[in-house]
Amino acid sequence: MPVDLSTPVGALVALLPELVLTAWALVVLLVVAWRHRTARDSRFVGLLSIVGYVLALLATTWLAWRGAHADGLSQMIALDGFRFASDALLLWIAGAVAVLSLRWLERQGILAPEYYVLLMLATVGMMLLAGAADLITLFLGLEVMSISVYVLAGYDRTRRASAEAALKYFLIGSFATGFLLYGIALIYGATGQFNLTLIGAQFAATEPSLMAKLGMGLLLIGFGFKVAAVPFHAWAPDVYEGAPTPVTAYMASGVKAAAFLALARVLAEAFPAYVDLWRPIVWGLAIVTILVGNLVALAQTSIKRMLAYSAVAHAGYLFLALWAHSDEGTAAVLVYLLAYSVTTVAAFGILASIERAGARTVLITDLEGLYSVRPFASLGLSVCMLSLLGFPGTFGFIGKWYLISATLAQGEVVLAVVAMIGSGISIGYYLPIVLAMTLKPTRTRQAHQTIRFPRPAKLAVAICVVAILVLGIWPNTVLDFATQEAVQLRRIATPVMTR
Amino acid sequence: MTSFLASIGYEHWILQVLLGLPLLGMPLILVFPRHMARWIALTVALTELVLGLGIWWAFDPSNPALQFVTDVDWIGRFGIGYRVGIDGLSVLMVLLSVIMMPLVVWGSWRGIDQKQRGFYTLLLALKTGMLGVFVSTDLFLFYFFWELLLIPMYFLIGIWGSNNRLYAATKFVIYTFVGSLLMLVAIVWMVWTVGKGTGTYSFAYEHLLEHAALMQPWAGWLFVAFALAFAVKVPLFPFHTWLPDAHTEAPTAGSVDLAVILLKMGTYGFLRFAIPFFPTFALSETVGLVMATLAVTGIVYAALVAMVQPDLKRLVAYSSVSHLGFVMLGIWGSTVESVQGAILVMVSHGLSTGALFFLIGMLYERRHTRNIADFGGLAKAAPLMAAAFTITAFSSIGLPGLNGFIGEFLVLIGAFGRYPVLVGVATTVVVFSAAYMLWATQRVFFNRMTNPLNEAIGDLTRRELAVLVPLILAMFWIGLYPGPLLRRTEGAARRYIEMVQPHLPAAAMQHPATGAGGSH
Repeated sequence: MPVDLSTPVGALVALLPELVLTAWALVVLLVVAWRHRTARDSRFVGLLSIVGYVLALLATTWLAWRGAHADGLSQMIALDGFRFASDALLLWIAGAVAVLSLRWLERQGILAPEYYVLLMLATVGMMLLAGAADLITLFLGLEVMSISVYVLAGYDRTRRASAEAALKYFLIGSFATGFLLYGIALIYGATGQFNLTLIGAQFAATEPSLMAKLGMGLLLIGFGFKVAAVPFHAWAPDVYEGAPTPVTAYMASGVKAAAFLALARVLAEAFPAYVDLWRPIVWGLAIVTILVGNLVALAQTSIKRMLAYSAVAHAGYLFLALWAHSDEGTAAVLVYLLAYSVTTVAAFGILASIERAGARTVLITDLEGLYSVRPFASLGLSVCMLSLLGFPGTFGFIGKWYLISATLAQGEVVLAVVAMIGSGISIGYYLPIVLAMTLKPTRTRQAHQTIRFPRPAKLAVAICVVAILVLGIWPNTVLDFATQEAVQLRRIATPVMTR
Repeated sequence: MTSFLASIGYEHWILQVLLGLPLLGMPLILVFPRHMARWIALTVALTELVLGLGIWWAFDPSNPALQFVTDVDWIGRFGIGYRVGIDGLSVLMVLLSVIMMPLVVWGSWRGIDQKQRGFYTLLLALKTGMLGVFVSTDLFLFYFFWELLLIPMYFLIGIWGSNNRLYAATKFVIYTFVGSLLMLVAIVWMVWTVGKGTGTYSFAYEHLLEHAALMQPWAGWLFVAFALAFAVKVPLFPFHTWLPDAHTEAPTAGSVDLAVILLKMGTYGFLRFAIPFFPTFALSETVGLVMATLAVTGIVYAALVAMVQPDLKRLVAYSSVSHLGFVMLGIWGSTVESVQGAILVMVSHGLSTGALFFLIGMLYERRHTRNIADFGGLAKAAPLMAAAFTITAFSSIGLPGLNGFIGEFLVLIGAFGRYPVLVGVATTVVVFSAAYMLWATQRVFFNRMTNPLNEAIGDLTRRELAVLVPLILAMFWIGLYPGPLLRRTEGAARRYIEMVQPHLPAAAMQHPATGAGGSH
């Protein structure tokens, strides 16, 4: 189904998933205006928001099923398999986070259903960010996402840590946005274009100018902040620890995924001609991020902090796929993000249930003996840890293997070896969690008696854990799908460029 | 027998059944009541034994290629398949693990009195993993099983082990996991290199082996990556420090499985992958010398350390390091004799060390100690046990007429051509190993009984005899009549030598392979 993006109808069709979700978010906001007092209202709104994600997912599926593609140039928003795959991924994450929040919010005494509306708006932003074919759309998406997440991070108003997280995230986030915006301005100055494909065509035809190089560098710094790559990661641990746990899950999986998907698109469409310039930067970022993330994670005692540093390390692994700059690399981004987000959502889902209301943070020692009281939760968390570690038999392994496979296919061994060394370091902090839960005895008789695992969260986590195991053994469908969608990113980018 | 097996299509389903049955047994154990757990595990083990023994006849010793081959697509897009098969290198290991399985279940019958369901479930998972490592002929599948094994072993040591179990379990997993990480990079790198050269991206062992020449420019690095993974597992000196801890802290079943099967995976990996892929580099003068020296250092060092161990299990653990050194020496001896000897040492070390760990487990169940000093004069109270222990000790030392002798003897003759000095040094260890083993036997079973607690010790029960008698019979059988075993490994050893022969440095060419040893 060719869609002419220069007509209003075409643009509406292309933006269907985002429009559906936005409209639904506004409807839900109206509902909230009347119903926001009791726990039941909060749950009702949560369920409504999940319906919104399903609708948006249906719209995405419809576009993909009709084979929607741009007739001529992709203006403002991309219309290809990669965007549909990204949207599906982001919607999935948002829906899962909403499920995890369902009873958790009430238990923590957070009775403000606007939470779910913010979550939906953030998701709209993420979808725009990941699907942007234009630097302005990209910036718009980034801002919609970021501002919603700033609020979400501070949503637990009664806790000082949450407020601190929000402020820190806001200050550093704005700073990063500044870099990004300056980069966009410089690139516009160098090319006179906002459209990624046209920028790519210009760069391919002309010698790299200083202004363009600077613009690209600033853009990379801006993204570096958003994905929490070293040395732009300093905000991550505090923010991850302070934010409400479902929001942390959302930031660790959703925000990171959206930023990476956007970065993959920008590098593939706008900067293929500058590959020799940005590859060394990505190479260095990958190595530093992997090593620092993993080494610092070793020293953490709080699980959320440890997972924050582990998220930093995983951003480092993902840079490998960007470095590859190939169809395999793009497919690897999708596969790895899916594996990583399934695992992260499940892990934070279990952590959220362990947290006591009003408790400051969960330490690794708090998990001791969990198996004897909550065998399934502890086994689930163990599976998540193994998946993050990249242990064979889990989906995480498939993702990691695909990453190094894509890198080695381009003849790069050092990155692959560093990634594996990082993996080797990471066993030093993932294994102690498994050890504490399954092999150590409980500290006190009362331990773990306060755990409440609401049924919806239980179901979501169970599905994730089963998916980790099943896709770890039988990843064919996911791999085939990712490969199919990934090819479209470059196939569409290339012909216009050569024109 | 052979024709009967062929008529039921034995070779097409046996490996799948061996791999699948334990997996089927696991949910059964979890579903049925607690006291049924060990019975289900035993049933699975005995079924595997009965079915698996057919391999002995169905395996064709004259055919050096892979047999019982199955090749099904798994992740077809990337050339990953479920590819299994066995040849002379693996057939004995598969048989050994099938035979050991019911013995291990029997051996844990009384010793494991808590969390039985979990224990037997993990034991079955471990079994699938171990068999999988030996039968997989797809490198992705191999890596999969290789790593998967760590989980059951981790929990077996960590939950049912003795006092220092958490430390030992963690050390075991970290050593093995970190050691094998680079192997994954090497495997993927090989597949891409060969794929670029041939146009076929496949993880199949035979395919990679056929085009191994394409990997020559990186052979050194690739070999190091493989060798690190395998050397940790063997364990080759100086990567051995996890083994005494893991052995000592593990429950009897864990120690037995570790000694009998897991340690052999390292040496098997060298024979199957590391050397045939990169023979020129692996068998070059320098690398060969380094590996053989490490092997002999391990042999001597571990034997010396074993002498001063106060703990019986630790003593046997160090003796394992020493024995596995012989295997490594045999592998780098690179003659038909030495390689066959190495395979035979793998088998007989499995039998004797397995039996020793069982016996120590039985002692521990009676006295709740493993300290040599706590025993003494047990022969009076438990004559059968003393006899079994003494025979096993002799077999471990390598007394002629028992299994240990043949393998080590073949290794020493076979490797003499390449490393006369090192073989000379290794030979002296026979004295040390006799010293630590016999000294320990003497202190435990003979001497004067000083501790009244030892008087009440019961002799072997019927169940314990059922565990030990098959092992002791096998020791005598291999010691007196190793022909059938050697016949089954000869084809593969020859194929292996023919494969690596052209890559041996010139000096070794003056000692070409001359028959398969004088023992049959």
